[in-house]
Amino acid sequence: MGLKLKLSAQKTGIILISPAILLIFSLLVYPVLYGVWLSFFKKHSFFPGQKFVGLANYIYLMTNSDFWMSIWYGTVYSVSTIVLQIVLGIIAALIVNEAFRGRNFVRGVLLFPYVIPTVVAIILWKWLLNNQFGLVNYLMMAVGIIDDPISWMGKDHIMTSLIIISVWEFFPFVVLSVLARMQTIPPTLYEAAQVDGAGPIRRFFHVTLPQLRNVLFVVILLRSIWMFTKFDTVWLLTQGGGAEKYIRTLPVYAYMRTFMYYQAGLGSTLAVIMFLILIISTAIYFKMFRREEEI
Amino acid sequence: MKMQKKLIMIIGFVCLFSLILGSTALAAKKVIHVWHTETNPKSREAIANIVARFEALHADIKVEAEALAWGDLEGKIMAALAAGSPPELSHGQPITCAALHEKGLLLPLDDVVKAIGEDNIWDQIKKVGKYGDHYYGLVHAAGTSLLVYRKDLANKKGLKNPKTWDDLLHNAKELTMDTNGDGKVDIYGLTIPGDNLFINILMGELTKANGGILFDDRNRPRFTDKKMIQILNFLKELTKYMPPGWEGHGYRETFANMYGKKAAMMYQGYGRGASLIEQYAPANMANTDYFDVWIKPHGPSGTKPAAQVDEEPWMLFKGCKYPKEAIEFLKFFYKDENYLEYIQTVPIHFFPITKSLRKSSAYHATPMIKKWKGWLDVQEYYLDNDLVKPTLVVDWEDMAGKPYLMEILGSGILKDMVMEVTKENVAPEKATAKAQKRAEELVKDRGYAKW
Repeated sequence: MGLKLKLSAQKTGIILISPAILLIFSLLVYPVLYGVWLSFFKKHSFFPGQKFVGLANYIYLMTNSDFWMSIWYGTVYSVSTIVLQIVLGIIAALIVNEAFRGRNFVRGVLLFPYVIPTVVAIILWKWLLNNQFGLVNYLMMAVGIIDDPISWMGKDHIMTSLIIISVWEFFPFVVLSVLARMQTIPPTLYEAAQVDGAGPIRRFFHVTLPQLRNVLFVVILLRSIWMFTKFDTVWLLTQGGGAEKYIRTLPVYAYMRTFMYYQAGLGSTLAVIMFLILIISTAIYFKMFRREEEI
Repeated sequence: MKMQKKLIMIIGFVCLFSLILGSTALAAKKVIHVWHTETNPKSREAIANIVARFEALHADIKVEAEALAWGDLEGKIMAALAAGSPPELSHGQPITCAALHEKGLLLPLDDVVKAIGEDNIWDQIKKVGKYGDHYYGLVHAAGTSLLVYRKDLANKKGLKNPKTWDDLLHNAKELTMDTNGDGKVDIYGLTIPGDNLFINILMGELTKANGGILFDDRNRPRFTDKKMIQILNFLKELTKYMPPGWEGHGYRETFANMYGKKAAMMYQGYGRGASLIEQYAPANMANTDYFDVWIKPHGPSGTKPAAQVDEEPWMLFKGCKYPKEAIEFLKFFYKDENYLEYIQTVPIHFFPITKSLRKSSAYHATPMIKKWKGWLDVQEYYLDNDLVKPTLVVDWEDMAGKPYLMEILGSGILKDMVMEVTKENVAPEKATAKAQKRAEELVKDRGYAKW
């Protein structure tokens, strides 16, 4: 009787988790495997018919200058935005962790960029940065920082504009995560440091920062993955405009190959490469962090 | 408590009953799906009115008209075709129509043409969707690209309609001005959009105007030809008189440069822009004394001007549910009284495809048409003299013979080539060689290479 009950409980468990497993398989495992499979084929994105080409897509990309440029642009974009998000995020979190009048209002305002839909944010920024009629150039010229308007959406500054917009849009995530951890740091640690004569800067480096290590590990990992695969912000900024060439990161290039060249095979190959880059980078990151922990 | 329970049950039953009744009524109707690209409120309203009148006459048909942004359309059509559930009707680029016809995915619209009267349609229009003896695309309206210029400024400088590219460069130089004497340019000679679509349109136009071709009979790209080098050298020179950052300007921003008094000429203007000028330019300037159009110049190897024609055909898809009903809807759409309402929503850009409407007094009585007549005259000149072709089409035979132009447009190969020369100072010979290689790869990949 007991065994029967146990078996039945197992069966019930399997039945209960099977929808979730089915969902994970159909929405996660299957698309990934299909993408890998597709990368070995030459296939039109929408019409039937495909031809097995083995590693030809991979070999083609290795000798393709546009591919290497997209890796370069993607790296510049993700590294610079992550560094700036972390630095600004920690500074902002330190400020709003202090008690001052209107603190709750400032905390709310800080979250604002993160809740605005990307499309709205991009439209707003495009007009702010417009080189002929934009407010940013107007203000910079009014206070004498520049003499001539800057072409923010042109070739020379489009990457800077993209980085500014992305940092503005996503640094609140760092603020939230870091602030949450800061609020749990025991005040006794600061009191002890103060007794030892540590000033605010030493307190930050010797108390706050070590306490933030774990949360920063996760934040850097997540933000790296998200920024390296970021598509909407990058694409919407130019939508195929002339300067698009200068911010053609890997996700944008994969999209173009799939939906503009209609080369689903090459598009999938790019996606697989992106996936592999992320897996390898994450593994290295984990290994480095573990080694540090051991030390 | 019991009463409450009863009441809830009654309400529930009533809701369920109405839902079933409503869905049954809807299911009994034949729903035809119509995708179009006229997203402006006036055109949407006109289409809604036409649909309402059509539905009033056909109680068993419901028309679901959906306005889509250009950028979304091609992908949506392709995805719908791949899923086996295409709409009945959709707008599309002429080169998309060519690609879909070549793959056997379209149904003929001969009955619509017959209802309008084949002789009643302008010859230029017929070339867009006619394959063999059948029409697989029928243009909803035609509008050509225009060289818009500030007439007041040009008159002050004594500038004339440029005949050649050298003349245009001269005009652009003359119109690049420092008007307030602070040593800085505040009006640039010329503005063009940096968008992929518009650069492709521009390259098609310039190739035609310079007597060149983009692809030969064997589908091999001809990007390294001397004529293409001339085009790129011309563009490099021209960009000296364009606002900094022009490559980041979209179509609307380019028009903003015009009515915002930051540029004196616009190479890729359209009649649609007359509405923008009326809306945003200072009231005293919103007329042809300030904003007029010139006939476009030709290149050193060409003899005739060339422009692009924006004339998306309606397409009827094979595999749709109600093709007959869709044909009935199109016949109704092109009836003079309905068609006029649609045309009047963007009157300077929508040239009617029917001779009867273009000659009618009702059409000519439209206030905007009276006001911007010069803009229409130039378009009519282009259309009647066969000086305009759809995007990337250099010769009418390209429509049927080069079904890969859609992919060439999407790939951005031409745009990248232009950017390399004008923004990165790459030598035209080097940039064209790179573009040639990319285009050859794409044509080969699509299976059209015959060299």
